[in-house]
Amino acid sequence: MKRLLMLTLLLVLVSGVALFAAEEESLVIAVPWAGAELEAFLPVLRAFTDETGIEVTAITLRAEDLAVFLPAQFAAGITVADVIFMWGWFIEEKARAGHVLPITGVIDPADFLIGALDPMTIDDQLYGIAYTGKVKPGFWYRRSFFEEHGLAEPATWEEFVALLEEIAQIPGIVAPIASGNGVGWPLSDIAEHFLIAFGGPELHKALIAGEIAWTDPIVEAIFADRLVPLLEAGHFGEPTEWTMAKALWWGNDYGLFNMGSWLTGMVEDPEDLGVFALPGTEGIVFGIDYAFIPAYTQRPAAAKELINFLATRGQVIQVGEGGHLATYIQVPLEAYPPVDAMVAGLLVDMVALPDLDDTIGGAFQLAFWDQLKFLWVAPEMLPEVLEILEEKAQ
Amino acid sequence: MKQKLSRSLFLIPALALLSIFVVYPVVNTIYLSFLSPEGEFVFLSNYADILTRREIVNPRGFARGFAFGALPHNLLWTLIHLPLTVFLGLVLAVILRHVKGKVIIKSVIFLGMVTPMIIAGVLLRFIFDGRAGIVPAVFSIFGVAPRTLTAHPDTALIALILGSVWIWTGFSMVLYSAGLGTIPKELNEAAQIDGATPQRIFFKITIPMLKPITTVVVTMTLLWNLRIFDIVYAATMGGPGGATNVLALQMFFYAFRHLEFNSAAVVATVLMFLAMVAATPMIRSAWRESQ
Repeated sequence: MKRLLMLTLLLVLVSGVALFAAEEESLVIAVPWAGAELEAFLPVLRAFTDETGIEVTAITLRAEDLAVFLPAQFAAGITVADVIFMWGWFIEEKARAGHVLPITGVIDPADFLIGALDPMTIDDQLYGIAYTGKVKPGFWYRRSFFEEHGLAEPATWEEFVALLEEIAQIPGIVAPIASGNGVGWPLSDIAEHFLIAFGGPELHKALIAGEIAWTDPIVEAIFADRLVPLLEAGHFGEPTEWTMAKALWWGNDYGLFNMGSWLTGMVEDPEDLGVFALPGTEGIVFGIDYAFIPAYTQRPAAAKELINFLATRGQVIQVGEGGHLATYIQVPLEAYPPVDAMVAGLLVDMVALPDLDDTIGGAFQLAFWDQLKFLWVAPEMLPEVLEILEEKAQ
Repeated sequence: MKQKLSRSLFLIPALALLSIFVVYPVVNTIYLSFLSPEGEFVFLSNYADILTRREIVNPRGFARGFAFGALPHNLLWTLIHLPLTVFLGLVLAVILRHVKGKVIIKSVIFLGMVTPMIIAGVLLRFIFDGRAGIVPAVFSIFGVAPRTLTAHPDTALIALILGSVWIWTGFSMVLYSAGLGTIPKELNEAAQIDGATPQRIFFKITIPMLKPITTVVVTMTLLWNLRIFDIVYAATMGGPGGATNVLALQMFFYAFRHLEFNSAAVVATVLMFLAMVAATPMIRSAWRESQ
């Protein structure tokens, strides 16, 4: 009996130690991806485990969902994961409130694209990493569709408008450009593209910094002279859920589709893809996925190891899976699949810019999405739309 | 005395739970609504600020016919949705009383009610879609050009309200069906012997006998209208241009997008008081019954 008791105690002790050890050696990471996108991320985590022996569990949590419960968790001094992918503006805000673990020295900022780590840096302290990103290059088209109808990429604004008119005449076309909808971000990408093309990268940066008003004549002119006439002429389709819009565009119901570079991983034949920016565009939005370590992680050392791996060797593996562009400058061009190499080539001679609404965030982001949905169906309401955007940008 | 004491003891667990999970959050929310983001006591100035914001009440919307603000949208929702669901529920319950296969028909109507509201919101988005939706397709038979009704500010709110009628009518129909079963047959038979017409029986016997059910249906529908959130969130996110925004959604935006917890507390407190007013008839009815 005594022996049995001793054995039981020993077993409990051993399993306790095993559990403790397992807990020490495992991390949880919250990522915004699911389905195929998550499958493309898992090889990165497996490589990390192979290298360090630390197990990592990935859980899918969208930024919209994290924004709901992270503030409460942080207030209670707990966290859902050891490493979390989140909006840049949110990380900055929480870092200022002391909820984010500083990671200065974990990575070398000189190894990253210029400006990529700016949103993560506060008073020379680094609070997060810039993982890979996606560019928003402009208008995608099917090469086969352009060839079939004798269409060509435009070199001037006039040619662009003429192209739209030509596409509109093609039988079976609903509208020249598909308008992706959802919560509203696809339309914000189009608006940003117009602002960069006709206001330049400096205007884009000034709008983010709040140095220029949305009601400023320069901004108003871009909307009134470029975007609104196209909306009034019916060159943009009615806002449709963006994955449905993508399917309709791929089925040649529309000629052009403004979307991010992740589109390359969403079509049946990426080789059939062509893309062009509005003529004269000098900047390109490079939407970066940011990650941080909450101050309440129980495993800060292991979390720092993971975040270092993600920012560096992890990016090499990730870009090889397709649909991602690295912020880590040591990633060789050969690491990219051919179609992504083409997209990466779009960054050459272009100023890489942060996503406007993701950077400003908060009330403005919601208003920007919602007001653009409104503008798309009521272009005559432009003055009110800009007035509301200015109000929310304050 | 001993019996009273033991009764009180049994109440303690329930009271403790209520205090922790209901009373404390309510009191704290009301207190939060009186504070500035910096924690200073500002009493009603938060209310004056929030209740005059464009997203809560938008005077410009009344002039052009859409985007009136979250508070008027909730009221409009109630004004249209409440009478429609009560009326349809009653009519369906009466019609289906003597129909063969009524259980199957009622189950089909009730399906909307058991569908998770977030799914219902997604369904509504597709039902009203100009390219794929059944409603624009039906309209097009009558020569109306198909368009996505939830994408346009002048039709988005009414589309969601009518969609929610489909979802909620099953609830009132089931309650009225149960209520009709409780009316003694003798009353109807006596009226028939006295020569009363079916219309007279309906208005003089059925409707008055269903009064307690109507109180419940009206109160529950009012409360549902006040806390409407998921349908709007999934279908339109309150847009376009705030045309379908409602109080609960705005409260969510204030709290979790704007990170303005004091503003969210103001909307939560307003909603709570509106809900209390809405629940008063049911509470009074229950009180009278207990007396």
